Amino acid sequence: MRIGEQWAVELDGFAKSYPVGWGGLRVRAVEALTLRLPPGQVLGLLGPNGSGKSTTLKALAGLLRPSSGCCRIFGDPAGSDAARSRIGYLPEAVRFATHQSGREFLRYCAGLSSLPDGLATLRIDSVLAWTGLGEAAGRRIATYSKGMRQRLGLAQAVLHDPEVVLLDEPTSGLDPEGRLAVVRLIRELAAQGRTVVFTSHLLAQAEGVCDRLALLGKGRLLASGTVDELLGRFERTPVATSQLEQIYLEKLHGPS
Amino acid sequence: MDLPEQNGFRAGARRVWRVAGQTLVEAVRLRLTGLLTAVGAGLVLMALWLRTFNFGAAELKFVADFGLGVMSLLGTLLAALSTAHLTFRDMDGGLVAVVLTRRVGRGEYLAGKAAGVAALLALFVATLALVLGVLLAVRGTQIGAAFVPLPVFLQACALVWLKLTLVAAMTLLVCSYAGSELFAVCAGLLLAVVAHLRPFTQAEGWLAWLRVWPNLGLFDAEPLLAGASLGVAGLLGLAGYWALFVGLFTALAVYVFRHREI
Repeated sequence: MRIGEQWAVELDGFAKSYPVGWGGLRVRAVEALTLRLPPGQVLGLLGPNGSGKSTTLKALAGLLRPSSGCCRIFGDPAGSDAARSRIGYLPEAVRFATHQSGREFLRYCAGLSSLPDGLATLRIDSVLAWTGLGEAAGRRIATYSKGMRQRLGLAQAVLHDPEVVLLDEPTSGLDPEGRLAVVRLIRELAAQGRTVVFTSHLLAQAEGVCDRLALLGKGRLLASGTVDELLGRFERTPVATSQLEQIYLEKLHGPS
Repeated sequence: MDLPEQNGFRAGARRVWRVAGQTLVEAVRLRLTGLLTAVGAGLVLMALWLRTFNFGAAELKFVADFGLGVMSLLGTLLAALSTAHLTFRDMDGGLVAVVLTRRVGRGEYLAGKAAGVAALLALFVATLALVLGVLLAVRGTQIGAAFVPLPVFLQACALVWLKLTLVAAMTLLVCSYAGSELFAVCAGLLLAVVAHLRPFTQAEGWLAWLRVWPNLGLFDAEPLLAGASLGVAGLLGLAGYWALFVGLFTALAVYVFRHREI
């Protein structure tokens, strides 16, 4: 990256710990995580449950404060008005108000993003078409399948045309078809020039989507780099599991 | 994308309005709301069958006292339960993150929630007031007796609404730091009980500390129905007292919620 350009996403020594009980004991969710992502790239935060992926993403979304270090979006502290105006966020397993239709929910989100009515209608039509929910837009969300709800979540995340899209386990709980649909949408977000950070514990799917990967385990950064760098560094013969999964397990538990 | 100004008071007020509207729609659709409203209307009508237990009061006054009591009791339940449920449903379901990662301030979000619940309570009070008002009018015609004038009756209902919104504001304060919906409901109701105990704290004693807490007894409509008049100054004073505590509780809730990690 040239001097003067900003990182789209920047974690600088980010650490997060939570108090446990009354004795002043704290458990560390993330330890001294440093990552930088240039604009327009896709970063996959990969790791098992409890590895600190969602904590990191929430900190980038400004929903929780770092215990130490800092998180920035295009140079602005995460959670600031400037940073929030540039991000779209999909929480893990979001439960929508099921009495609304998809279109009504997006209309609500557009209002919260202060989109003027005319522009809101255009953007809603656009993201509904993009996510393939155009025909179901008038139906109650209660009738949506899990895959459709996840695509609706993606639609709300990009509704206000953010430069950075943060997706927490966007493929979690989806069948293969739904997973492929979401992966395709993430690829399209990248093709549109957006910066995407997503979390997943499904390592194999990240190989074809991400420009960069960060492997997390027990709150620590185990490895990071481009897919090629990681695969090249840990070259293995093909087996049943993906190469990234092998690398991850090796980093987590040591060579077998 | 070029967006209109998002920092001004009007932009903030629009976001509060959106959250309030969404909250109201969700609140009206809660089974709890329908249940309490139906039970409330049924109990108000039941006053006709209970009028023989009137302890010597005139029939219409007994019916009105009973109806306003039902409104107040079930309304308190609705205020605490709906505030806690609507807040925790958003938090547990991740919707609060969808809202707060946009340009919605945490204060705007809580103000919207409070306004939405206040609107729900207004609908609840208005519905039961309508049932009670019709019952009083019909029964008054049947027995040829007149009850308090309509403006006084409406004032009494307004006092109940003020009391209920104060309970909702207390519950919202608890929600801002509570870890579970059940705790928020229990604590909110407990605080409402404490506020009802205030009339017993005039003398010195171990309950004297309760004086810092709002006195919900001030919002009792019974004296109005007995013929007492609040007067303009009294009404304004009561409205100011209500605004002070609702503002205080909401401001405290916003302060706590700003530091909450989601």
